[in-house]
Amino acid sequence: MKRRDFLGVLTGGAASLALGPTWAGASTLPDEFFIFVHAGGGWDVTLWADPRNERRGLIDPATAGNSETGGLKYWKHAGGTFEILTSKSGLQLGPGIGSLYDLRERLTIINGLAMNTVSHDDGTTFSTTGRHRTGGAVPESSVDVVCANELGGRQLMPSVAIRFPSQFVGDRLDRRAVPLRVGSVDAITRSFVRSADYLQPPDRQAITALLTEEARELARDSTHPAPFDQLASQHQDLVPLLTGDFTKALGARQLQAAYPQFEYQGFQGGSTVAAAFAIEAIKRNLVRCVGFGLGGFDTHGANQRQHALQLQELFGTIAAMVKLLDATPHPTRRGAKLSEHTHILVVSEFCRTPQLNPAGGRDHYPNNSALVISPRFRPGPFGATDPDQLLPVDSVEFSDGRRAIAPPDLLATFLGAFGIDPRRYMRDGEIVKALLA
Amino acid sequence: MRPVALLLALLVACHGDRRPAVISPGTAQPWPAHRAVLLDQSPKAKRRAVPAEVFLRAYLGWFGDLAPYDAFLRARGNDLFDQWSYYLAALGLPDHHVDAPRISQSNTVMLATIGRLGEALCIRSVEHDLRANPPLDKRVIFAFEQPVQPTRETFAPAFDILHRTFLGYPVALAPIPRIDRFFALYREVASRQATRLTPDEMAWAAVCTALVQHPEAWVY
Repeated sequence: MKRRDFLGVLTGGAASLALGPTWAGASTLPDEFFIFVHAGGGWDVTLWADPRNERRGLIDPATAGNSETGGLKYWKHAGGTFEILTSKSGLQLGPGIGSLYDLRERLTIINGLAMNTVSHDDGTTFSTTGRHRTGGAVPESSVDVVCANELGGRQLMPSVAIRFPSQFVGDRLDRRAVPLRVGSVDAITRSFVRSADYLQPPDRQAITALLTEEARELARDSTHPAPFDQLASQHQDLVPLLTGDFTKALGARQLQAAYPQFEYQGFQGGSTVAAAFAIEAIKRNLVRCVGFGLGGFDTHGANQRQHALQLQELFGTIAAMVKLLDATPHPTRRGAKLSEHTHILVVSEFCRTPQLNPAGGRDHYPNNSALVISPRFRPGPFGATDPDQLLPVDSVEFSDGRRAIAPPDLLATFLGAFGIDPRRYMRDGEIVKALLA
Repeated sequence: MRPVALLLALLVACHGDRRPAVISPGTAQPWPAHRAVLLDQSPKAKRRAVPAEVFLRAYLGWFGDLAPYDAFLRARGNDLFDQWSYYLAALGLPDHHVDAPRISQSNTVMLATIGRLGEALCIRSVEHDLRANPPLDKRVIFAFEQPVQPTRETFAPAFDILHRTFLGYPVALAPIPRIDRFFALYREVASRQATRLTPDEMAWAAVCTALVQHPEAWVY
């Protein structure tokens, strides 16, 4: 064997060992669930996670003059702006937190996330994959796909992404982890609806069985079997989805009736039904990860006046989800609540400028915050920004020295909390043990 | 040095009129034996799923070179299909209404959506081609005389026409035996009580629905 061939075999083998799914390693955590939320547009962290109520440096704080405060549950006037809320765990919160304040002792908030970008696409990719875009392309898979790859293979739908920026990159991951990316809940259920006037469920089962068999045999005889294997497993998954009560239980209208806790008439409109879908799909043990996006936070103009109300609605949705998870038994663990085994990560692509622009809005700013609600994370604040410019400060000791925490570190820590080695999926990022419970 | 070089050049030039040596034929010898290679190691391109647009274009072409709006008109009704706009993201197409980008990997929802559309178009084609029974040259998909209570022998040539239409080559060249499997599907569906169509028409609709979703139609 030539030296080059030998080295190729050696490195290829090592790479496959390093990047293949670790079903065996993950078997210790077979029944955890994950909800990922993307607040699209870039949120104003001074109204919730990193509150500022003093005019200092660049900072123009929210006031009753530049913000709508009427409907804000926790807005208390103080010195022309608002009073900062606190928790026993050391959090300082702004009035945009809304009813999630009732659950303040369970929140982990990471402030001063160094984004190094003010582009929507790049910030979204960086927040969910830990990598900036390279030449417009997404270089790594997103955190939900990694969790689905490690822990979701046996679920009917390992990863569902409803307007969530989910990314499946490369050909080393298990094909079952390819996310079901759709624009709405109805797009999922509508696709599985079939007419009762012609072919009947047993006919469709026979068709699906035939196609699964054909795909498996083509995979067996193919030099590159992956696409056929992928199609075989996807056809196999179709059977219960086409024949069960899936479309009836998970239709948008049915979900709205079953979960009146959520706000369906607010800024987000019907998009909030994605939260109800997440709860119902987890309750039925159909999914491993559900990601959804709630947008409208890109407030460059007069719409900034409503930003706090929009945040309050977003966090009201999160709070309603947590309360439902508290009240719902785990589908497979006897005596356990779903909230003990469901982990929520809420991100946005960046935050907004501390100063108001001439239109009364706030523009893009390369700082950020994130929210985690998980029994595996230590409640309280983490990271920091400077008092004058709201920029990340070097507040965390990493192996490469003291620097600000960044999205790759948060995502690596999130994966590490479930025994997943982030280095198998991520180039950057370091587990921050101080964040873990 | 210069006179020597000129002399050499003159000698070479004068030497050019000599005729080349004749190569006389020798005794034929067998080629040396080749080493047997059991494993085909020639480079192969990776198979990939076709982009959503290509797949949809193929669908619209198969069912009569339809424009997307015509496909919607043909497929709708009886809860078979509804508006395209509901399915853009599920089909893998970019949906700018919800800021959803193109989807590069197939997934179960995508298969289900294509299946819903395929079933609708196949049933409408059965209604057009078999139920209405126009001349063969006016048919869109089922361009054959429908065999009465087909046996495997009478099923095969009709199935071959569908196979050529959807997968692009004769079924006899398929890498895996396919006729028996599809004939079994035909018989299974035809054995049930049909609703709006005859059992045989339903069975042809099932064969068509399976072929339009066939894995070979998804990859290239």
